[in-house]
Amino acid sequence: MENWTQRILLKKCVALLLLSGLTTLANSQENLLVEPDVRPQIVDESVIDTENFEVGMFVGVMNIEDFESSALVSFRIAYHLSDSLFFEANAGQAEGGETSAEKLGIDFFSDRDYTYYNFGLGFNAPGQTFFLGEYTFNNNIYVVGGVGSTEFGGDSELTVNFGAGYQLLINDWMSVHVTGRQHLMRTDLTGEDKLVFNTELSTGLSFFF
Amino acid sequence: MRNIITTHLMHLRTEFMLKMINHSKNRISFQFLLVMLVMITCPLAQAEENVIAGTQAANEDANVLARVKVVEAFVEWRSGPAEGFPVFHVSEKGEWLSLLIRKTDWMKVRGEKGREGWIRVSDLLKTYDSSGSLVSIVEPQFDDFSTRRWEAGLMHGEFDGAAVNAGYAGYWMTEHLSLELWGSQVLGDSSEILIANINLLHQPFPSWRFSPFFTIGAGQLFIDPKATLAESENRSEDTIHAGFGARYYIDNRYFIRMEVKDYKVFTNRETNEEATEWKIGLSVFF
Repeated sequence: MENWTQRILLKKCVALLLLSGLTTLANSQENLLVEPDVRPQIVDESVIDTENFEVGMFVGVMNIEDFESSALVSFRIAYHLSDSLFFEANAGQAEGGETSAEKLGIDFFSDRDYTYYNFGLGFNAPGQTFFLGEYTFNNNIYVVGGVGSTEFGGDSELTVNFGAGYQLLINDWMSVHVTGRQHLMRTDLTGEDKLVFNTELSTGLSFFF
Repeated sequence: MRNIITTHLMHLRTEFMLKMINHSKNRISFQFLLVMLVMITCPLAQAEENVIAGTQAANEDANVLARVKVVEAFVEWRSGPAEGFPVFHVSEKGEWLSLLIRKTDWMKVRGEKGREGWIRVSDLLKTYDSSGSLVSIVEPQFDDFSTRRWEAGLMHGEFDGAAVNAGYAGYWMTEHLSLELWGSQVLGDSSEILIANINLLHQPFPSWRFSPFFTIGAGQLFIDPKATLAESENRSEDTIHAGFGARYYIDNRYFIRMEVKDYKVFTNRETNEEATEWKIGLSVFF
């Protein structure tokens, strides 16, 4: 009885092994028919990731003529038209301090927010930066210029800006900026109508996408 | 899951070994054979699975990165995406390059040995893709200047003697006729004026590189007198305008736009006011 059971089981086992062997064989033949690893791929603009936009956030100091210096926060978006030319727009905020007259007790105005926007063109001059003799980074020295508006003391004034900066490209999608910029505008906040130079010094991170 | 099964099998094996010590050595159990079979096939199956997974990963990688073959005598590599960056490597004819990202007219590539660098898009257009045909990348070009639907731009100029900054977005309903929305800020000596406009624009010669246009529209003026002047209230006025200008295509997807508009402002005083505005700026089409 036991032999009979064993025989039946062994038969089944052999049949199973044979079957599995055959399937493996069939599979391996099938594998031969599968296409090669590299499939022909047509390269056109749809398979390429283009990164011409750059957004950044800056912090720094804004020296507001007659109204002391204060902390500055600004945002920047740039669109790269070519390898050297870019279009940029900035918006920022600082806070005006007190004039010498105000310190003597004369009231000027209560709204101290200094906000601005501008847009314009920039020009990149590329180069390389070497650290410790073993690290090499790409960098850009750039000049920028544009127009915009500044709101301070309740008034908005046409503001022309120009400046220059250094951009260290850490990798393909991130860079560090150090920028100096002059903001020129006419204002009569201190009583006389005059041209003022507000100086911005800032640093920030920008990201390409 | 595989780990659980393996642990379970190890447990079974230990249990089985203990049983075997108690049994006579001559008797080969069917259960023993079965367990041995499973123990041998398990790691084999796992190894096979690893190989399959590896191949799949390689395939996915190949799908993500498009590859091209250099067919010119050589292609120069630069360290960054601009003419000013130094050339540090050269690819020879027959070498395969993987395409990573593009910035303006430059393409970042990875060579067969894993080295990375930037080549010109114009050089890329001289390579073959894996289907054996020349790479074709269609750039926005002059033809698109008259066929693309959307455009937007930022401009600067003068409105009635005061500086004006403006931005707009437009939609070309036909190649001749466009509908535009404008927002402008006039920075005057005595007041700040915000203007919102909607206008129709007609260009009679859309295929010209320097394409003139005519425009009419209507909008609203919001006037905010200066804080340093005597108390004066904010007010808003209706306005209509007509004007002319031109769009001049430069390159890729951007063009210069300039225009002159004459505004009629409807006041609630005895006479209406008029103002002339000119602007120039940079626009892009999408």
